[in-house]
Amino acid sequence: MDLVSFVTLVMNGVVEGTIVALAALAITLVFAEARFMNAMVGDLMTTSAYMVIGGQKLLSLGLVASIAGSLVLSPLLALAVWALVFVRLEKANRTACLLASLGLAFLIRGILTFFVGFDQHVIPAPLLRAIDIGGVLVNPIDIALAAVATVAILLVFGLLKWTPVGRRMRAVADDIDLARASGINVRTVNITLWSMVGLLAAVAGIVLGMKTVVSAEMGWDMMLPAFAAAILGGLGNPIGAVAGGILLGVAQELSSPIVGSIYKISISFVVLFIALVFRPNGLLGTSVGVR
Amino acid sequence: MSFTRRETLIGASGLALAVSFPARGQEAAPFRIGALNPITGAGSAYGAGMQQAIFLAIEEVNAAGGAAGRKLQGFAEDSQTLGDQAVLAARKLVDINKVDAILGTWASAETLAIMPLVQANGLIGMNTSSAAAVQEQDRKDLVWRFEASNASYGKAFAAMCEKRGFKNPATMALNAASSLGNAQGFQRAWEAKGRSKVVADVVYEPKRASYRSELQKILSAKPDVIVAGCYTPDAIILLREAYALGAKNAWIMPGGSANSLVAESLPAEATEGVIAIETIANENSVAFKHFSDAYQKKSGRSSVDNIFAAMTYDMVISLALAIEAAGPGADRAAINAKLREVSNPPGQKVGSFAEGKALLEQGNKVDYDGAAGPVNYDENGDVTPIFGVYIFEGGKRVRRDTIEI
Repeated sequence: MDLVSFVTLVMNGVVEGTIVALAALAITLVFAEARFMNAMVGDLMTTSAYMVIGGQKLLSLGLVASIAGSLVLSPLLALAVWALVFVRLEKANRTACLLASLGLAFLIRGILTFFVGFDQHVIPAPLLRAIDIGGVLVNPIDIALAAVATVAILLVFGLLKWTPVGRRMRAVADDIDLARASGINVRTVNITLWSMVGLLAAVAGIVLGMKTVVSAEMGWDMMLPAFAAAILGGLGNPIGAVAGGILLGVAQELSSPIVGSIYKISISFVVLFIALVFRPNGLLGTSVGVR
Repeated sequence: MSFTRRETLIGASGLALAVSFPARGQEAAPFRIGALNPITGAGSAYGAGMQQAIFLAIEEVNAAGGAAGRKLQGFAEDSQTLGDQAVLAARKLVDINKVDAILGTWASAETLAIMPLVQANGLIGMNTSSAAAVQEQDRKDLVWRFEASNASYGKAFAAMCEKRGFKNPATMALNAASSLGNAQGFQRAWEAKGRSKVVADVVYEPKRASYRSELQKILSAKPDVIVAGCYTPDAIILLREAYALGAKNAWIMPGGSANSLVAESLPAEATEGVIAIETIANENSVAFKHFSDAYQKKSGRSSVDNIFAAMTYDMVISLALAIEAAGPGADRAAINAKLREVSNPPGQKVGSFAEGKALLEQGNKVDYDGAAGPVNYDENGDVTPIFGVYIFEGGKRVRRDTIEI
């Protein structure tokens, strides 16, 4: 493999991996705070992509306005779901929460398809030719989408690391009872958490929707790689989730010249398997989660 | 007036009972049809229309008094365009709804997956799937194919390449039975013309966020045309990314995938010149005109966008004519055996069930000339296709040619 095709494959892997990373980050954050696997993220993604379509086709808004609308509405939707369902399950066990999130995933998809049907949609977006950088063809749209995704990820990290609410989130992740006893308002933490989940899902959904085709199952189909990435990175570890997503994406693309396009997906699971043999808690996983 | 919840429930259950036992007494048992269509998944652009067309045809047959004294009864299920889900749905149709026939499986994966069930229960199966395996595995002549086979698609693609003077074709195929079959069908037909092998050949997985790596591999072989066995979502992604990569090659795609959604949703420069080849409706037939109007009224959509809906409509009409010809009390095998007789020549051409029923009652032979095609089954149970060639011009799909093979 020459350098150009190597760089190209790595780039493709990073772009694909970033979308998975966003979903994995949303999953891992919920796991860190509330200790359950949130299967609803995929359908939040789908809903956000449909919101863009709705903004463009029903309200005749421009692309940017539709995306902005979706970025605002999707966190509100996530918050509504939290306020209606998960707030009541705070004391319930993890299986109940997982099942509730699964049920909500189906419910959201059901409501969505009831209104919009099962037709495939495409987000109308400008099409640009790739730029040749030393032989590597770089698609400007990919760069823009990856940049947006990166900003979203950095926002979440910044919030966790440097803001008071982020510090409280990390405290809750560490030990919820201790956090409560120290006077941390768990409600504020949860509101922040679910807004972030909604925002991340929205960015993931919109980026995926713009790169592919918007359909009712698009988000759900991302759940397997996203769970894999979250587990690879160490459940509850935000940096791990992002690293996991990108690592799986790159591993997949780099393996494709050797194993072909069909088996490259299995390769990413081989990577997951090997990693878990040596690091059962994931690459960056520890027993306490977010730090 | 107000009801308590209990009263409402009692009322509702009474209503349900009334609905489920409408006809008492002498009427012959209905012929039960399972409409197993891809409402969700990659075939979702067509599934709902196929289902509506089946029920439209059922209504027409029942309005004409049913076939051989039997009403048709439809049961709808979603195959999700997945083999395993199709089997679950088919099981339900067989065990609970006790259907006599399952109509309208779309992807070859669905059709192949339910085939053992169809054959074991002696059901009549009608599909719009292209894979060669569909007929290879039909050992009891119970399976009827309304879409062109992969082999015929392959021949049409190869004929098109020759017509346009392409020398170095490459193939790309989604990893699904019919898409792979289209690519392989093309490779066989191309080599049968004495040409050398395709310059590159890539098989890719569905539901990926990008096909750049796959495209780059194909483009590095510098093909003048890429023959793609694909579905609509991946066709859109392929064309979008190929444009971004500055690809100069032509594209030949099955028209069911390179449909008007592709034309509408991508900027014109990304689709310019794409060649879409698909089986076309029997446009000059009486059945097609009638179906088009009725379908438009029922679904609010144009039948032009969904050839598969016309096919499923023909399935029901052809089947109903066979029931009529087999006479009262005939079993499934007897009905199945009549399908060729009522749909193939010789016989008086008919364009609707009512017309055919009247002629059959007078003892005449009929030849159903359907909405999607002439519906003449060959010895394998395949109908003979007519291919239309559509070219994407300025963001529109324009019919430019027909190919008969």
